[in-house]
Amino acid sequence: MTSSASAVSSEFGISTAARISLGTAVYNELLEFLHDEAALLDHQRFEDWTELLAEDLAYTAPLRQTRAGPGRYSNIIQAIGHFDDDYLSIMSRVGRLGTKSAWAEDPPSRTRRLVTNVRIWATANPDEYEVVSYLLLSRSRYEESDLQILTAERRDLIRRVKPGFKIARREIIVDQSVLGMQNLAVFL
Amino acid sequence: MLTESKSVLADGTRVEDLINRETREVSMRVLHDRELYELELERLFAKTWLLLAHDSEIPKSGDFVVRAMGEDQVIVSRDRTNEVHVMLNVCPHRGMRICMGEAGNAQVHRCIYHGWAFKPNGDFIGAPIEREQMHGDVFAKSELGLRKARVAVYGGLIFATWNIEGPSFDDFLGEMKWYLDMLFCRTDGGLECVGPPQRFIVPANWKAAAEQSASDGFHTLTAHRSLMETGQFGNDEESIYANAPAMYGIDIGSPHGHSLRCIPAETTFSMFMGMSDLKNLGTEERLQLLPPPGIPKELVPQLKTHMDAKQYELLAKAPPQVGGMFPNVLIAFIYAPREDGKYGGALTLHTYVPKGPDHVEFLNWIFVEKDAPEQMKRDMVANAVRTTGTSGTIEQDDSDMWPHQSRAARGVIGRQGTFKYGAMLGQNKPADWPGGAYVYEGFTKDDTQWDWWQYYFQLMTANNK
Ligand code: FES
Ligand SMILES: [Fe+2]
Repeated sequence: MTSSASAVSSEFGISTAARISLGTAVYNELLEFLHDEAALLDHQRFEDWTELLAEDLAYTAPLRQTRAGPGRYSNIIQAIGHFDDDYLSIMSRVGRLGTKSAWAEDPPSRTRRLVTNVRIWATANPDEYEVVSYLLLSRSRYEESDLQILTAERRDLIRRVKPGFKIARREIIVDQSVLGMQNLAVFL
Repeated sequence: MLTESKSVLADGTRVEDLINRETREVSMRVLHDRELYELELERLFAKTWLLLAHDSEIPKSGDFVVRAMGEDQVIVSRDRTNEVHVMLNVCPHRGMRICMGEAGNAQVHRCIYHGWAFKPNGDFIGAPIEREQMHGDVFAKSELGLRKARVAVYGGLIFATWNIEGPSFDDFLGEMKWYLDMLFCRTDGGLECVGPPQRFIVPANWKAAAEQSASDGFHTLTAHRSLMETGQFGNDEESIYANAPAMYGIDIGSPHGHSLRCIPAETTFSMFMGMSDLKNLGTEERLQLLPPPGIPKELVPQLKTHMDAKQYELLAKAPPQVGGMFPNVLIAFIYAPREDGKYGGALTLHTYVPKGPDHVEFLNWIFVEKDAPEQMKRDMVANAVRTTGTSGTIEQDDSDMWPHQSRAARGVIGRQGTFKYGAMLGQNKPADWPGGAYVYEGFTKDDTQWDWWQYYFQLMTANNK
């Protein structure tokens, strides 16, 4: 169990330290944290959401690219992304959403963030955890009955603070090389 | 003069009747009609020069990217002699796709269906089992290459057209080239594209995006009002419109639908440097104090060596910053507002690739000057990602609007409505203006967008040869 888990972790280039098993106290706390975070965003409580962000935040979403042949598994493009943000810029995005003219989300989308497949590793820093989760975001806009959908894997560094946790790093690995929605005026 | 048109849609409407030159209106039917869309693919996307890629995306021999010219997918590749080729990504044997990825490197492109193979320049190499002559005895090998487009590389930007005998790329740019040179051909190292473009689909007709890119300055005040409300351009009710970015300036239009907005240094200096009196500042001093977007101070001396004296002077007085190239390119070489209160450069180009009458793919390329310091490059990429494209706080509002315009055109009554271009400055080139093309000085109006439609209808009604 431990050896196969660390094989998975090294594939993602993240810490090879101990896997935090499902059902342990730490796992449960972090899972609740992710669920609460999703609820804040889905209820448009953006200011409250920013309370969960560390001031040294790195928030990125590399592009994906379809590759064929020998290099086919190197399909995450780190040079450029859909987000390239830090704490200040996320605060500024949230500030903009609070203005009277942030049309991309006024009227707001009805969103649902389904967060699953959560895997957690301890890191060298006893207060920090590598948390990998799957995200399915559905976005209902205007009267359109078709949901806009985005799926991704999120690679987070989550830090224990008193009280609770803060997100210090989030890398969002979207699955589409061509996104199927008109913008990312939503947080992932 | 316009060519006499025979173009008539199935219900008897002449394409020419979709524009009213007296009242300067365009029928909203153009946003929805499938027949018109097919005509656009033929008469625009298979005829004009189209922006596909940048040199720096395919630096090495064999490098390629896959892009689209209208609905036709093409391979953009570099051969051993460093020449760039653009060819249809379709096997001449039985229509299979050749390059299955979006990018890669290959000296041989082999069709995965029956194995026909092609060089990076599109030439046919052969089919498997040469002695059995699997490619047949009807066509010579020289006739079995990939269908090739005509290519032009300008300032590192790779353009192509299917109009093999048509106007040259320089003719297509015409007098706009003089202005565009100030953006794309200004330093020794030139521009570098950072990674591949962001790509996303907007459920809108491509022209909703494209006509806006023909320098719609006016929408800034309302569509992008949030940027003023957050205080990035002045935040009280009184000053909000007065401080709106660069409403007064010089719009450049073109008989070929290209456009650029030149923004006076007085505006940018007061916005970003807190200086409004520039009378005592010479050309050099201005460029040193506030270099054009994306130019680091250490590259300022190079500017002079890449342009004529008049371009150099205009760069200091009123540099071009935003605009478009017909039919589907947006240019934004701007000072982007930053959350730390400073300003930073953001250099981006977009293309709006049609995906049927009701969808458009938005591609966003982000550039830096190749010889800029690494930190500046990092900052500029972040600026561009935060303000333009997928999640950009400027452009996310635009892309949520276009679908509504397109949707409106689905209604029988809605499509009887029109786009109105009633507010015109008219050509009023100042006596001492150094450049050519159409010049509109003053508060930005509808002139350049109207120019865009003029050219659109000129091509759409030209007799098909
Ligand atoms: S379709 Fe390509 S080899 Fe047959
Ligand atoms: Fe806009």
